[in-house]
Amino acid sequence: MQVIAPAGTARGAPAIAAAAPTGRFGLERILLGLGVALLLLLVGYPLLWLLLGALGLPQSIGLEHLARAFTRPQNYAALVNTLELALGTGLMSVAIGVPLAWATARSDMPLRQLVHVLVALSYITPPYLTALAYIILFGPDAGQFNRLLRALFGLTSGPINVFSMSGVIFVIGIHVFAFTYFLTYTALKAVDASLEESAQMLGAKRWQTVLRINLPLVAPAITGGTLLSAIDSLALFGPQAIIGTPAQIVFLPTRIYATIGSYPPRWGEASALSLLLVALTVAGLALQRGYLEQRSYVTVGGRGVRTRRLEHGLWRWPLTGFCLSVVFFSAVAPIGVLTLTAFSNSWIEPLSASNITLAHFQAALFTDQVSVRGIINSFKLATAAAAVAVALGAIVAYLDLRTTLWGRRLLDYLAILPLGLPGTVMAVGILLAFIRFPLPIYGTIWILLAAYVARFVPLATRSANASFRQIDPALEEAGRITGASWWLTMRRVLFPLARPGLLVAFLLVFIPAFSELSATILLYAGGTETIAIAIYRLNDLGQLEVVSALAVFTIGVVLSLALLVNWLSGSSWASGETPIRG
Amino acid sequence: MDFIEVAGIGKTFGTFQALDAVDLSVEEREFITLLGPSGCGKTTMLRTLAGFLTPDAGTIHVAGQLFSSPTAVLPPERRRMGMVFQNYAVWPHMSVFDNVAFGLQINNVGRSAISERVSRMLAAVGLEGLERRHPSQLSGGQQQRVALARSLVVEPAILLLDEPLSNLDAKLRERMRAELKTLQRQLGITFIYVTHDQAEAMALSDRIIVFNKGRVQQVGTPRQVYERPANLFVADFMGVVNKLPGVLIEHRGAEGHVRIGQQTIAARLGDGLSAADRAIVIAIRPEAIGLGPGAARDRANVLKGRLIDSAFLGNIVDHQVDVDGTLVRVQGDRLQSVEPGAEIELSIPIAECVAMRGDLPEHHEPEQDRS
Repeated sequence: MQVIAPAGTARGAPAIAAAAPTGRFGLERILLGLGVALLLLLVGYPLLWLLLGALGLPQSIGLEHLARAFTRPQNYAALVNTLELALGTGLMSVAIGVPLAWATARSDMPLRQLVHVLVALSYITPPYLTALAYIILFGPDAGQFNRLLRALFGLTSGPINVFSMSGVIFVIGIHVFAFTYFLTYTALKAVDASLEESAQMLGAKRWQTVLRINLPLVAPAITGGTLLSAIDSLALFGPQAIIGTPAQIVFLPTRIYATIGSYPPRWGEASALSLLLVALTVAGLALQRGYLEQRSYVTVGGRGVRTRRLEHGLWRWPLTGFCLSVVFFSAVAPIGVLTLTAFSNSWIEPLSASNITLAHFQAALFTDQVSVRGIINSFKLATAAAAVAVALGAIVAYLDLRTTLWGRRLLDYLAILPLGLPGTVMAVGILLAFIRFPLPIYGTIWILLAAYVARFVPLATRSANASFRQIDPALEEAGRITGASWWLTMRRVLFPLARPGLLVAFLLVFIPAFSELSATILLYAGGTETIAIAIYRLNDLGQLEVVSALAVFTIGVVLSLALLVNWLSGSSWASGETPIRG
Repeated sequence: MDFIEVAGIGKTFGTFQALDAVDLSVEEREFITLLGPSGCGKTTMLRTLAGFLTPDAGTIHVAGQLFSSPTAVLPPERRRMGMVFQNYAVWPHMSVFDNVAFGLQINNVGRSAISERVSRMLAAVGLEGLERRHPSQLSGGQQQRVALARSLVVEPAILLLDEPLSNLDAKLRERMRAELKTLQRQLGITFIYVTHDQAEAMALSDRIIVFNKGRVQQVGTPRQVYERPANLFVADFMGVVNKLPGVLIEHRGAEGHVRIGQQTIAARLGDGLSAADRAIVIAIRPEAIGLGPGAARDRANVLKGRLIDSAFLGNIVDHQVDVDGTLVRVQGDRLQSVEPGAEIELSIPIAECVAMRGDLPEHHEPEQDRS
């Protein structure tokens, strides 16, 4: 490159070099290019293989797998069961999510803060642990509640069998209703009191105001939340397998698992079933998006919305009772029973001083080989997956927000896409892509890393995007014009400012990756078991006490990290509320 | 060749043409202002000068070196320019000292030299003693001083300023204006200043470049662009102007006779007016009009009208006068009062009546307003 001292610049300053061609390969292009390549490899390539696999590749090409996916009676039954599950959980989420949201957002009910926190707790508890807890609570013979009910009412058997369709719907429903709850809660909070007061000034009674003002305003949020609940329930392999499989009720994810696990594995059929599951999810998400777009008129107020709590008089008490029983079943009972079981010599025996032990924790954390390996692998994998996902997410967000590169929107879409894909589907794609040349990493821990990054990169991307969006680009431009290179500006200006947001992104990936089950179950091998696999396998062996100890440990880790996220998000820079300016 | 030579620069965003064949030249140590309404291309021009944008056409040379062309762009960090941003862009995670020292640190200036130069610079912008403060503890005006110090401490050849005073309140803005001007004179740095505020532009600049719709409308000293606007857009943008539609009935040299309603006046012919133009507009500044026949000293026109209303504004009185159906604004003396409804005569020096083409120069309609 030509370096010539410019004329007219006094003070013996360093020389200004002449303009360099714009098309050169600087560090900026290399780093961003690597990120794009990795994203295409981890998300685009497996999805491509899902399509190819459904067409029978690489063995043959044709439509017979797709045809078989729809005609085999077992597959048909799985589809019907899955739809029934979605419908059931959807209805259940409205029935409990909406009253709870009203109670915490707008009523003067006591303990509403506690209810709100417990809903959040039931949401962050991995649903397969809730399922395990319900086996302990409502197992047909030995279930704690069943024994209690038999003793109370003098029954000889039952009365409740969790291993049933209603059992699956209930266990999944008390997890996914949180979507309906949170969306409705937010919408109710966004309705400015003046809208209600205007109606009242015109002579509307309170019930008329609720019916004609509040309900229409939050209806899109309720519908959107319900669809989201239903869609999420489709993908929850854990409870479907843990409760459905013993009851011989098959859903699409468990059917896909069985198809892959059969000998020889029927990959073509698994891909075709995955596409079916994707179709259901995409249809649901498209509907949900449509409803949520109508939501715009609720959030008109934006900042400074004033809401009034309505006095419910004596109605407060039945409302409180209802809310407390919901969170009792969704959070208190399952976590409570897992904790009790983890500390009991035998979970069948009643709790007493002689029945308390730490042996199960010792087994879970120190002696049981699969369990210990699972804990170590889960920590390693979640850390690595979070780091890679944050790097990828940051690159995608940077390209989207700071460049005018062609195709950056497409890239952003690709990075968000896995959010709508069930873990089982993602795993089938990853399996087909990485079982063969050029990257045969199946059977190693790397395939789990690939799956976690692919599954959770959307969380990191959205978080990094929100974080960068708050940072005025002029702060980086000021760095460049002051003489810092692109990389130096990244290191000294963008990264330090985005650090709180990127840390949140890291945790948001770490948390679900740490307890991931639905993709792991298809991809793990001897030696690469994770916590979720250890729990799943120990449950199969009937070691419920050790499982419970491991479950309590998992919930403890997840809960502490979730609290950390909450605390970090509350601090100014990561909250998404205060833009970072000079 | 001048210090900065911009030749034929064009820039398009999607279908919006932000810059269209812009030529301009700036001398060393000049204070030059790019002035225009939002979306006129002034900020795009500044960002192209800084190297943040690659032009679609044209070249930028600084001191004889090629800085920008569609195929080659010298990155911002190697242009030896400074830039002050509208929202200050002071780094919130660094102290005042670290903000200012940044440019010196990355150029490997020695520790003691850094602290000496930073202190000197902070003193120059009136921030002594605030080295350890963080930007969140500073007022808007102080933050803008940090931004100034940060960009000036590395002794740039050129300082770019993008509406640096627009976020400050009116009083502070006027004070900072004066300080900026003094600083520029002291340091002898070329300032390229972007603003939409014509008063600010006139107060600060050696020369003003008026932009509209991506094109340069006029280049000149503040007095030139105010008194001899190249077209009706410039006349309008530089301040309040009366626009009286008329017909050019004859012209001799630099002057002509124009019929306005029932009356005929003599007018100076504006630049760019061709012999074929008949339907024209007479542009007259309200402060150039005197109330009463003897109010003007020079050769003057006299227009008859009727006073509609007057508003007392303190230093002046703003009169609305009906001249054959056209409302004319007159800025009068506060000591002189006229009753509404009175028939009055307005006297206007011929040199202050400028005949111009009535249509604004049309190039391209932007689809949306953006800057």
